[in-house]
Amino acid sequence: MTENVIETYSLTKKYGDFTAVDELDMSVQEGEIYGFLGPNGAGKTTTILMLMGLSVPTTGTAMVAGYDIIESSREIRTVASILPEYSSLYGELTAFQNLDYIGRLNDIPKEAREDKIGEMLEIVGMSDWRDEKFEAFSRGMKQRVCIASALIKDPKLVFLDEPTLGLDPMGTKEVRELILRLNREKGMTVVLTSHLLNEVQLTCDRVSIINKGSLVVTETLENLHKQMTGVEERNVEFKLSDVPEGLIGNLEALEGVKQVAQEDDRLYVYAGIESDYNVSKTIVDHGAVILLMRPKEYSMEEIFMKYYEEV
Amino acid sequence: MAGTLTVATKELRDQFGSKRFMILFGLVLLLSTLSAYQGVDYIRNNENAGFVNIFSGTQMSFSFIQTMVYFGPLLGLALGFDAINKERATGTLSILLGQPIFRDSVINGKLIAGATALTTLVLGTIGIMSGVSIPMLGFGPTLTEMTKILALTLLTIVYLVFWLSLGILYSVLMKRTATSIMASIATWLTFSIIITILASVVASFLVPLPGGGFRPQVGSGGIRMSEEFIEAMQERNAVMSTINKISPTNLYSEAASDILGVAGGFMMGMGRQEFQRTLTLGEALAANWANIATIVVGLVICFAASYMIFLRSEIRPGD
Repeated sequence: MTENVIETYSLTKKYGDFTAVDELDMSVQEGEIYGFLGPNGAGKTTTILMLMGLSVPTTGTAMVAGYDIIESSREIRTVASILPEYSSLYGELTAFQNLDYIGRLNDIPKEAREDKIGEMLEIVGMSDWRDEKFEAFSRGMKQRVCIASALIKDPKLVFLDEPTLGLDPMGTKEVRELILRLNREKGMTVVLTSHLLNEVQLTCDRVSIINKGSLVVTETLENLHKQMTGVEERNVEFKLSDVPEGLIGNLEALEGVKQVAQEDDRLYVYAGIESDYNVSKTIVDHGAVILLMRPKEYSMEEIFMKYYEEV
Repeated sequence: MAGTLTVATKELRDQFGSKRFMILFGLVLLLSTLSAYQGVDYIRNNENAGFVNIFSGTQMSFSFIQTMVYFGPLLGLALGFDAINKERATGTLSILLGQPIFRDSVINGKLIAGATALTTLVLGTIGIMSGVSIPMLGFGPTLTEMTKILALTLLTIVYLVFWLSLGILYSVLMKRTATSIMASIATWLTFSIIITILASVVASFLVPLPGGGFRPQVGSGGIRMSEEFIEAMQERNAVMSTINKISPTNLYSEAASDILGVAGGFMMGMGRQEFQRTLTLGEALAANWANIATIVVGLVICFAASYMIFLRSEIRPGD
């Protein structure tokens, strides 16, 4: 039984009449990479800010790493780190000076601090720019130094709010690999928000979809797929050498087949798993050759859209 | 406390490294050194004058006190106006507050750093002024004069820190640095220039002069003013000084002049009239405790307000 690093209890945040987070109950397990998805303004950032004690909930509370977010937010910040959205470090300081400042604020003694900074710059691949000013860096380099700043304190838990925002594909890939590495090697729990669904798919163990301040669903990606497609029935794509006359009518007449759609040389057969044999046989009996057969995968985007529509 | 010190150290390094501070320090040094030369000249030509005259200046010359009256607000405000909102705008505030520190460390650290920078500026200026003057005069301040200079130094620091804390308040109240810099400039102009103009306009509006102006009285040898006229002028003066009283710049200049014990009085309508008042430090402090207290209270109120607003403020998405 893994422990929960984060547990929220009816966490609510109102800005005037606007409810940004509405009675949110969620939990994040130790050691997992947790994807926090939702459209803009859904309440992801507000939730993260509350969990770090940077914003105070209107009602409800939460426990992070065993500390209450209202009573002991400073203690939370000793074990948890945040990489806030649109955040930045001090432009007039060098990469080293910036990290040194963050290290001091975390009360890391001088020698340990210098070792740690060296290690972190190495991890994010910025060792060669140690003494360059932060303001001279490109967007991607800045983000890497910011990530290093979040890792200086050796956190058990990191909140990464849109860590790949504004990065090019290479930068995005590097950050993604870094997240996976930290999670595997250091057992760091990661809570990640992102709009890049592909990225979420490649990194996260579980995802939550939040909309208008409420949790719509929390699942492993696998289960999300299952929920989308249904275990018993699914859409199967066939690419055929040709589509003989009468084939579609005969397929539709088969037991278990719900729907058949044609798109040029492709057929999409929505049927139960047990019908695969009969469907394939019928096609071959009509004299066509099956060039390709595959169950249609739902992309993250489709899953995402489905849950957004539900709300 | 460790957090406060860390923030203060970093901020102080920023202040000392900034072109902003260098320019202001340079400006103050230039004006003060020039006024020290004038002071030396005055002391050489006046038997009654003492060493402190290099700070108080003379009637017609520019002095250290006047430099602080005109540029003091600018110095303090410039060091504080973007303390918090710049961090908010550039996105460093959320990273800073994401560290295991109490939020008051940030604002305390910034005040301490600003106050230290201003203290350095005042000590540096007074030190250099003395350093320039002593060799030229061939003598230094007496012990009494040294205590007066020390009191002046402390008063000037408190006065500048008052403007600093007002600047920090602006940086907490206003989201954008462009807004808080405009507010600072407006404040500076108001208290260094506009207030005197305003005071004289209000005074002449409230106290109209009797018709006829002053009448020459035959046989009294020279120009005399009518009793009526003098009364009206005195009344105007009273109104003006009441209005000026609300200006911290004026509170400072009154107290500072009295502390040095060499002040000139200036009566409207009667021409410039110099009268040396040689107050002891104790007398000066006794006469000006209300002025000094007002500046201190202003400092405390501004900082307490910034402190409370900042502690209650939240990081919102997009900050």
